[in-house]
Amino acid sequence: MQVPWLLALPGLLALLCFHFLPAGFGGYYAFTSWNGLGNATWVGLKNFRAIANDPIARGALWHTLELAGCFVVLVNLIGLALAFGLNRTVKTRHLLRSVFFAPVAVSPLAIGFIWQWIFDNQGALNRALGDVGLKSLERSWLGDPSTALWTILVVLVWQYSGLAMVLYLAGLQGISDEIYEATLVDGASGWLRLRKVMLPLLAPAVTVSATITLVIGLRVFDQILALTGGGPVAASETLATQVYKQTFYLGRYGYGAALALILAALIAAVAIGQLTLLRMHEQRL
Amino acid sequence: MARSRYRRTTLLRELALIVVAAVFSLPFYLLIAIALETTEQTYRAPLSFPLSPHWSNFSQAWNTGGQAALPRSLESSLIITISSVAALIALGSLCAYAIARRRGRLSDLVYILFVLGIILPVQLAIIPLFVVMLHLGLVGNYAGMILLNVGLLMPLTVFLYTGFIRTLPRDYEEAARVDGAGILRTYSRVVMPLLRPITGTVAVVVGFIVWNQFFEALIFLEGSRYQTLPVSLYSFAGDYVARWNLILAGVAIAIAPILAFYLFAQHQLIRGFSAGLKG
Amino acid sequence: MTAAVTFSDVRKVYPDGTRAVTDLDLRIEPAELMVIVGPSGCGKTTTLRMTAGLEEISEGEIRIGDRVVNTLDPRERDVAMVFQNYALYPHMSVFDNLAFPLYARGISKTEIRRRVERTARLLELDGLLKRKPRALSGGQRQRVAMGRAIVREPQVFLMDEPLSNLDARLRSDMRAEITSLQRELGVTMMYVTHDQLEAMTMGTRIAVLRDGLLQQCGPPQALYDAPDNLFVATFLGSPVMSLLRGRIERERNALVCMLGGQRLPVEGNPSMPALNSYVDREVVVGLRSEHLSQADGTVLNGPQLRGLVRLTELLGAEQLVRVDLPVATLTGETHGRSEVAEVTARLDAHAHMAVGELIDLSVNTAHIHFFDPTTTRAIH
Repeated sequence: MQVPWLLALPGLLALLCFHFLPAGFGGYYAFTSWNGLGNATWVGLKNFRAIANDPIARGALWHTLELAGCFVVLVNLIGLALAFGLNRTVKTRHLLRSVFFAPVAVSPLAIGFIWQWIFDNQGALNRALGDVGLKSLERSWLGDPSTALWTILVVLVWQYSGLAMVLYLAGLQGISDEIYEATLVDGASGWLRLRKVMLPLLAPAVTVSATITLVIGLRVFDQILALTGGGPVAASETLATQVYKQTFYLGRYGYGAALALILAALIAAVAIGQLTLLRMHEQRL
Repeated sequence: MARSRYRRTTLLRELALIVVAAVFSLPFYLLIAIALETTEQTYRAPLSFPLSPHWSNFSQAWNTGGQAALPRSLESSLIITISSVAALIALGSLCAYAIARRRGRLSDLVYILFVLGIILPVQLAIIPLFVVMLHLGLVGNYAGMILLNVGLLMPLTVFLYTGFIRTLPRDYEEAARVDGAGILRTYSRVVMPLLRPITGTVAVVVGFIVWNQFFEALIFLEGSRYQTLPVSLYSFAGDYVARWNLILAGVAIAIAPILAFYLFAQHQLIRGFSAGLKG
Repeated sequence: MTAAVTFSDVRKVYPDGTRAVTDLDLRIEPAELMVIVGPSGCGKTTTLRMTAGLEEISEGEIRIGDRVVNTLDPRERDVAMVFQNYALYPHMSVFDNLAFPLYARGISKTEIRRRVERTARLLELDGLLKRKPRALSGGQRQRVAMGRAIVREPQVFLMDEPLSNLDARLRSDMRAEITSLQRELGVTMMYVTHDQLEAMTMGTRIAVLRDGLLQQCGPPQALYDAPDNLFVATFLGSPVMSLLRGRIERERNALVCMLGGQRLPVEGNPSMPALNSYVDREVVVGLRSEHLSQADGTVLNGPQLRGLVRLTELLGAEQLVRVDLPVATLTGETHGRSEVAEVTARLDAHAHMAVGELIDLSVNTAHIHFFDPTTTRAIH
C-alpha cells in the first residue's frame, strides 16, 4: 500500500499555480505589449529590442551582472575565512557565529535604511573620516553615480557573509575529524592541509554556496530600493528593480515581463551550471 | 571530537575575530545610538552615544499614523507569518511525505520540479499572479497574502521536508501498517512526531523569510490597512525623510521582534541553512 | 630506528571532571607489539591519542625513546597512526594517499616514489595505486591505511582498533598479516582493541585497562594462566571463566573448598599457601572450561562436581556444555539467580548429552583460580 499522490495534491497545486503556470504566462507576456488592462497583443521580440536600445535597461543588465559577480566572490571569500576561523577551538565561536549571521535574519529593507544613514552625506562614514582627519576622502557615496553601485555591494557583502560562513561551516563539519587528525599525524603544515585536503574536500560546499549567493546577488531588491531607489540617474538599477518600476510604476507589463524573463534565464543558467559542476565533482571523487 | 590545543596562536586568532565581530556589529550600535539622539545631536555628534537618551523618538515612531503606522503592521506581520507558516507546515509536510515515500522515477521527477520552483525568480511569476489575484479579490487582504505565501514558499518547504523524511527509517511506518493503521493515521500518529526537528527548522526558516518579505508585500499589500512591517517601514522612511533619528527609531522598532526571535531560534535558523548544503 | 614508549604516572582528566586515564605506568619495549585491551570507555583509545598528540596529557610524562613528548605536536613525535575508520583522503588516489605524509615532509619525488612503490608491494597494493578509496574494498582500504603509516618509517606505530570494521573472516586473515608485518618491520607497535581474541593472538604483551586503570600487563599466556583480578580473569579467554562462591575449610591437614553442598579438595594448586588465611571464609572460585571434563568413573574420589545439563553448543571439534550447579553465584554476574550457578565445560564433541541430564564433572583442581570476594584480587 503506497502513499497516495492525493496527499501531495495541495503541494503540487501550489507549485503549478504559483510557480510554473504564472512563470509560463510571464514568459508569454514578455512577447506582448500589455499594460495590465485589456488584451495583450503579441509583438514578438519588440520588447527585447526595446531593452537592447534602452540605455537604462542595458545598464540594469550590466549592473545586475557586475553586482552579482563581485558579490559572489567577496561573500564567499569572507565567508570561507570566517568559517575556518570559527570552526574549532576558539572559545567564543558560537557567540561570534551568531553575531556574523545576525544580519541574514534581519529584513534586507531595514538593513538598507541603516546603511543609508551610514553612507549619507552627513552620515557615520563621512563623519568618521572627518573626525580622523581624512576629510578629503569624504564623498557622496550614494549620490555619486560612480560609487553608488559599489556602496550597495558593501552593504550586501556585510549582510550575507554570515550566510556563506554558515554554509562553509556545515561543509567543514562534514569533513570527518579523523581526516583532520590524520593530517596532523602525517605532518602536514596548516597551509598544506588547507590546500591539499580541506579545500578539495570543501569543493561541493563551494559549489552550493556560490550558487546560492549568486542567485541572491542576481535577485537583490530591497536593499537597493532603500539605499538609492535605483539612482542616482539609474546608476544602481538592476533587472529586479527595473522589473518592479516598469511594471508597477509605468504600467509597461509586457516590457517588465521581458526583463523578468532575462533575469530568469540568468538564474537558470547559474542553476544548470551548478548541477554540471556538482556532477563533475562527484565523478572526480 | 578532536580537541585541539588552545595555543597562543589560537588566542591571537580569537582576539582578532572578536575585534572583527565588534567592527562588524557597528551598524547595530549606530542604529541604537542615532535612534536615541535628538535632531540636533544627529547633526553635531552622531557617532558618540548620547548621554541622555532621547526615548521619545521611539514613542513618536510608534505613534506615527497613516500608512506608516508600525503597530498596525506589526500585527499584520504576525498574523500573516503565523498563518502562512502553519499552512505551509501542514500541507508541505504531507506533500513531502508522498514524494519521499514513493519509490520510482515519477517521484524523483516531482522532487526536481520542486527544486526548480525554489530557483525560479518570483519576478517572472509575480505579474500574472498579481493580475489573476486582483481579479479574484485577493489583493490587499490577509487571505490573499497568506495564500500567496503558501504558494510561493511551498517548494522550499517541500524540499526541506523531503530531504529529512528520506533519512527516516521506514520501520515505524511499517510497524504501524502491520498493526492495521491506515495512511492518514500512520502519518499523524507516527510520522508527524518524528518530524518535529525539521518542523522546527522549517517554521523558523520560512518564518524569517515571510516576516522579512518586502517585494511581494509591496505589490500585494501596499496602501491597504493590512500591510506588513517592511512595507510600513518603507512608507515611514519616506515620511520622515532626512530625519534620521526618527527613521532609525522606526527601523529599530521594526527589527526588534525579529532580532529577539533570532536570539531564541538562532540554532534552528543556522541549521536550516546548512540543510541547504545537502541539496 | 624504533623506540620504546614509556608512560610515567600518566593521567587524563577532562574539563567536566571525567577521569579517562589514571596513574598509568607502562613501558612498551622497542620492537614490541603491545596490545592495549579493555571494554569501551576504559581509556585505551585516550591513551593512544595522548601518545599521538591528539589529546592533551593532564599529568605525567610520555616518552618516545628518550624524548619527553608531552608538549610536542603530532608531526614532531615521529609516530604513525592507523585510524579506526582509516581516514583515507577520499579525493586522492591510493598513491597520493601513501605519498602524502612524505610529501608533507618535503621528501624528494624520487624518494617518495621509491618508498610508496615498495610499501605497495609489501601490502599487495601495486595494482591499485591509481584508484580512489571509494573504489576499494574494506580490506584494501585497511591496507592503504597501514601503508600510509608504514611508508613514513616512524619510530612507533599506533593502531586504533584497525580491524573492527572488517567482517570476521577478513579479520582473522588481517590479524595474522599485521602480526607478521610488525615482526618483519621490527617497529614498536601500540595496538588498541576491545577484542580479547586479537589481544591474545597478536600481542607480545598485553595491557588490560578498565575505567582508566591498568589492571595487569604481561605476556598473553601469563595473564591467561595467572590473572591478577576478577576482571582480567573474565575478560580474557573464551568461553568466559565460570565464577562460583565457595568457602574454604580445613579438613585435617588439607584444604577443602565447599561449593554449595559439594566438596572439592584443593590439591597441587599454587594458591594453596595463601589460602590458609582464608579458612572459614568465603572466596570466589574461577573455573576455566578446559579444566572441567566428563568424569568417566575411573577416579571415584577425585574432585568432582555434580550438576544438570542446561545447554550444549556444538563447535565441531568439541562441545561446550553449560551445567547448572546447586552453588551460590556471584550475584549479579551470573544470570541473577541466587542459588544456581552455571559453569561451562569443554567436552568431547561426540559425548552424548541431553538437556536436564545429571552430569558429573571432573575438576582439575590444580588449575582452579581463587579470588578475594571483596578486593576481587587473585589469591596467590
